[in-house]
Amino acid sequence: MQIKKVLGSKEIDEIESIIEKNYGCKAGLHNYRVFMTGEEKIWIVSKDTDFKLFNVIKRCYRIGIYFGKLKRNQKIKLSIEGAIMVGKNAKKNIVVVGEEEAVKFVQGYDVKAEKLIEAEINNFVLVRYGNDIIGVGILREGCIENLVPKARRLVKIDETEE
Amino acid sequence: MFRERIARMIPDANAFFTAEQEWKSIRVNTLKISKDALLKRLQERYEVKEMPWYENGLFIKGENIAKSIEFYLGYYHIQEAASMLPPLAMDVGKKDFIIDMCAAPGSKTTQLAMMMGNCGTIIANDVSISRIRALTHNIQKAGAANCIITNYDGRYLDKVGLKADKILLDAPCTASGKIIKNKKMIEKWKYWRVKKMARMQKALIRAAAACLEKDGIIVYSTCSVEPEENEEVIDYAIEKCGLEIEKIELKGIKTRHGLKEWNGKKFEWYDKVVRIWPQDNLTEGFFICRLRKC
Repeated sequence: MQIKKVLGSKEIDEIESIIEKNYGCKAGLHNYRVFMTGEEKIWIVSKDTDFKLFNVIKRCYRIGIYFGKLKRNQKIKLSIEGAIMVGKNAKKNIVVVGEEEAVKFVQGYDVKAEKLIEAEINNFVLVRYGNDIIGVGILREGCIENLVPKARRLVKIDETEE
Repeated sequence: MFRERIARMIPDANAFFTAEQEWKSIRVNTLKISKDALLKRLQERYEVKEMPWYENGLFIKGENIAKSIEFYLGYYHIQEAASMLPPLAMDVGKKDFIIDMCAAPGSKTTQLAMMMGNCGTIIANDVSISRIRALTHNIQKAGAANCIITNYDGRYLDKVGLKADKILLDAPCTASGKIIKNKKMIEKWKYWRVKKMARMQKALIRAAAACLEKDGIIVYSTCSVEPEENEEVIDYAIEKCGLEIEKIELKGIKTRHGLKEWNGKKFEWYDKVVRIWPQDNLTEGFFICRLRKC
């Protein structure tokens, strides 16, 4: 993993303001160390994690969790974990789906919204089912474009891992 | 040969070969949801009961537990009930620096992250890139933000220069304790595999000892019942790696001591290590030992 930049307080503020502009709330990124890798990907790691080890460990595969990706249009495509963090306090750009659509969404299909909460067309939206944020999508005319990564979609898998 | 060996180890060998598992087990991910909240949701669709030996463990019966929205969101992790025990034997502290030497697919790593409240540092290491992908996926899904994933051969991890307070060595093994889930392994069992694994486990525990701070703790575990992979590895660690054994006590689960002797070799510390036999709790078999660096 090649770390491009560890973000300072001002840079974290900039990320937070992009999130606030889109979702009407902050993500709480100041509670973490935030850094960026190639392709403008944003990552977070716990504050007391010995983060500087990335300089020591040559075969470092990954640090912390993936928060999202800063796009060229100054919007952030959130990961599911990023969406869950933001979704706790989000006020806008939320689409609510029913049970059937929620199941389809987590399987990777585009779905229809039951309700829109200040959601702009062609924009990133948080997808909510009940009280859970189940991911992000892009609101298109008549549907929500699914952005759940393939590896995360629910498909037939072996139930036990160990 | 496998049947005869088991009969030499325990008086109830028949029960070992016939035990069947009725319940699946999951671990609540308290980094994302409270146990009560998850329990309430799951009880609407599944038969659920609490696990006597771990407050965040649940037994569950029903279809498609790996296809629920709660699973997708990382609210729970499907994890064998006995495999939740090694992290419990560690006495994890929130500020600890922990190395999980053979971490993939990450069940115990994410359990440790949860027990540490996402604080401290976990080096989650694995030698296999394909298994690291599963580890990465599970750490992300768990929301475990205190993990650094590394890709080293654990046998040479001491060359990296890390020093840990605690190390979890859940070593690769022949997995003969998984018989409760896979009866076919009886036919596939080979003694040369036991010996091969034992060689690797000794190399791993030697490297683990070298990566440990003074007074640091190693928890060594396997899901094998073979003495060559368990008691003999611990014997090697005590004799050659400057480690001393500490007694483990686990509550709420039926455990047995280690073997007193095997093939003429005596293990005087046999009552300090823990063996979980599949027939006792209807879980996989496990061996767990706690060692301290002198």
